[in-house]
Formats: sequence, structure tokens, C-alpha cells
Amino acid sequence: MWQYRELIKNLTLAEFKNRYQNTALGFFWSLLSPLLLSLVLWFVFRNLFRQEENFAVNLLVGIMAWRFFATGTSAALQSIVAKPSLVTKVYIPRQILVLSTVLANLISSLLEFLVLLPVLLILLGHLPLTVVLFPLIHIPYLIFIYGIGLFLAALFVYFRDMNQIWEVLVNILFFCSPIVYPLSIVPGYLMPYYILNPVTQFIIVYRNLMVNGTLPSLTSTAGIVIAAIVAWFIGNFAFERLQRRFAEEV
Amino acid sequence: MPAIIAENLSKKFRIPKEKRTTLFQNLIGAIKRQLEYQEFWALKDVSFEVNKGETFGIIGRNGSGKTTLLKILARVLYPDKGTVTINGKVASFLELGVGFQPELTARDNVYIYASILGMGKKQVDRVYDDIFDFAELRKFQDMKLKNYSSGMYLRLAFSTAIHASPDTMLVDEVLAVGDEAFQKKCIAKIEEFHRQGRTIIFVSHSLKTVQELCQRCLLLDAGRMVSLGATDKVVADYLSLLQRSP
Repeated sequence: MWQYRELIKNLTLAEFKNRYQNTALGFFWSLLSPLLLSLVLWFVFRNLFRQEENFAVNLLVGIMAWRFFATGTSAALQSIVAKPSLVTKVYIPRQILVLSTVLANLISSLLEFLVLLPVLLILLGHLPLTVVLFPLIHIPYLIFIYGIGLFLAALFVYFRDMNQIWEVLVNILFFCSPIVYPLSIVPGYLMPYYILNPVTQFIIVYRNLMVNGTLPSLTSTAGIVIAAIVAWFIGNFAFERLQRRFAEEV
Repeated sequence: MPAIIAENLSKKFRIPKEKRTTLFQNLIGAIKRQLEYQEFWALKDVSFEVNKGETFGIIGRNGSGKTTLLKILARVLYPDKGTVTINGKVASFLELGVGFQPELTARDNVYIYASILGMGKKQVDRVYDDIFDFAELRKFQDMKLKNYSSGMYLRLAFSTAIHASPDTMLVDEVLAVGDEAFQKKCIAKIEEFHRQGRTIIFVSHSLKTVQELCQRCLLLDAGRMVSLGATDKVVADYLSLLQRSP
């Protein structure tokens, strides 16, 4: 992959530029839409969770973290099928197409989190020191999303309804993760299954670092590292197996 | 050391009896348990070597497996049997302007295309002006590609492609596009590459061009090797093949 770094960089930037071509607000959309979504959700749920501490801040952090997962995997899913000529007319390692798409989403995500910092400062009154550990969670998250992206992109070449299926799954997962509601309302008997959702673990750690100013628990840390490694491993394995006939199927 | 060694290459395509592209259709198909595919061997036991610095032609009728073979050499398709060994850097020109993005400027596109062809940034910087001079598009560097005419598009793609300096080039009938003058330019470039000692694999329908450019040729028919050797001999074999079974 290293010898292709130039190509990865160029494709990532092209992807990023392409997304905001011909839009009046450019990449500000990337910032505006999560903020607006958070605002709407805050209006809807604020009375329900009034007694919750830092509900608005937790919501914002949850939405930002969620968006990277939702847009990253959905864009990665399309990445092979959307560029047929790079598959059938020339040889490049096909993982690059998925990787550059995920990296373009990483740029958006970093910008979003960057804008989130002053908002946190205003709403919390201070910034927790643990914010500096942000890269330590964002990197495993990136690997996690890339792994799932590889898996989805490879399947989508053969099954063109994967995008519909994934859209539904993403929607279900949104409500199975503690984004619009606090973890405390999840019934105890469901908890053991609930925390198996890797996205939940990631969101918990983001809140640890960015809102509460605490270090993540050992279980959460182990959870996200294992989730990242497993997703990457499965994604790579499936992709490697399926990519041999990409050029015939795209 | 030869530039390319191909051993017993075979490629099988699966032609679905009914096209199934969704998960739902696949589930239904699995339940009904029909025979899913018809097999079709596009290539069968093809072996040859190409020497360094040689221009090597692949000829044959439509559907004889020329493009399939070229795609296997380009690593786009995987052979079902056999192996390909390639020494040195390869660039494939199965199509010009692969990866061009209409919404981006010509400048951006040149850098993207060049990196697809395996060039580093410094390398592109060095030949950047030459690329636009050769394409005669200096004034239009910052124009979006979607505003280019198809002629300009082709010139830019071709100019970028020839400035990548691979050891081995795989060329499909890119020469079939463009006007007479453009085709002449392409042929002149291929001859120049040959003089520089590069290896070129060239697939074409035009026997005249093949005779002009290639030292050796391979004749394919229905996926099998019919003849391999000096261009004149192989072209003669091709003509007699056409007479025997037109």
C-alpha cells in the first residue's frame, strides 16, 4: 500500500472536493447538518431527559461520532461500484478505492469535531483535559469503519440491494446506540446484549474523553480495540476473497 | 530475463442463465436450485514469453480472447489457471483517461491520472509543462474537465499517459479513437518508446499497424493459441485462417 500513497492522497482529496462541488456552502454542510440535526433532536427530547446532566453536550458528541460511522460506511459501500473504470480498465489494489473514500470522510469528521470543541467549551464552561486523547479513539474508530466498509463494498459488487439493506440496518443501529437517549434508560436485562454493540462502546468512550473528562474503563477500551481489529480482519478477508471477480461483475 | 512470461493461461467466464444481481434473487435461486451458470472458456492454455524491448502484437477475430488476455496481463482479471510473471513496472492503456473526474480541473485530473499510472508527485511536477504543451492545452489548465470537448479530453489523457514512463506498456485499441492525425501521433509515440527499449504489448485489428510496429505476434482463435512467432508468418496464418473459416 505504501507505494500507492500518492494515489491514495490524490483520490482522497478528489473525493473530498467532489462532494462539495457546486454547493453554495461547500464543506460547511458537513458542519451544518449535524448541528441542525442535534438541534432538532434536542428540541424533541429535551423535556424527556431534562434531569439528565449534560444532555445537549452528550447528544452533540454522540451525533458527531455516529455520523462518521453512518456516512463513512455508506460511502464506502458504494466506492467500488461507483468507479467501474478504476476496476476494469487499470490495476490498482482495489482496497485503495474504499480507503480513500473512508479517508475523505475522516477529513469531514475531523472538521466536525474541531468545530465541536468551542461548542463544548461554551456549554460545559471548560474543556476536559482528556480531549487530547481524542486521536487514540478516533484511530480505532477509523479502522473499524474501514473494515466494515471493505466488507460492504465487496458484497455490494455482487448484491446490488446491499445499500438498501445497510440503510435499514444503520437506522436500526442508530436507535440501538445511546445517542438520543442516555445509557441509563436501557433496561438491566437487555444491558449485556446492548453493550455488545461496538458503536455503543465507541460513543461511551467519546463521552468519557470529551464530556466527563474521565479515562475510559478497561472493558470499553478492550471493546473498541477488539471491535476495530475484528472488523478490519473480517473486512480484509472477505474483500480479498471477493475482489478476484470484481472486474467481471462491476 | 523476459519482460513477461505467461504460462498455461486459462480464463473461464460464468454466464448466468438468468441475471441475478440482488440478494433476493439469489435467495430465490438458491431455493429453486437451478443450474446457475453456463461456463465459457475465453482463454485456454495460452503460453508465451515477451522479451525486453520487444513490441509484441496480439491479433485475432472478435471474441477470440485478445482483450481478455490483455486484461489478465494487466492484472484486472485473474486467470483461472496458469500464471503470469511480469518484470518491471507496467502501465495498462485499456482505455485513456481512466479515473478522470469531470467536476475537477484539468490540473487535478492530470495528477490523479498520473498517480494511477504509477507516477510520484515529483515526477509529475517535472513533466507537468510538457504534458500540457504536448496536448496543446496550456491555456485550459484550470478549466473543469466537464467543460472540455471530447477531443481536448482525449489529448489530455494521451499526453498524460505517454509521460508516465513504465518499463512495459499494455495497449488496447486506444488508437481506434481519435482522428487520423491523432492516430499517427500515437503510432509515432509507440515507435519512439520502442527505440527507448521499452516493452510494448499491442492488441489491434489493424494488420497494417501490427506489421509496422510489432516484431513478434500471437494469433488467438476462440481462446486458443493458433500461431506464435515473427509478425509476417503470424499475419499470413491469420489471413489463411480467415479464408478457411470466415
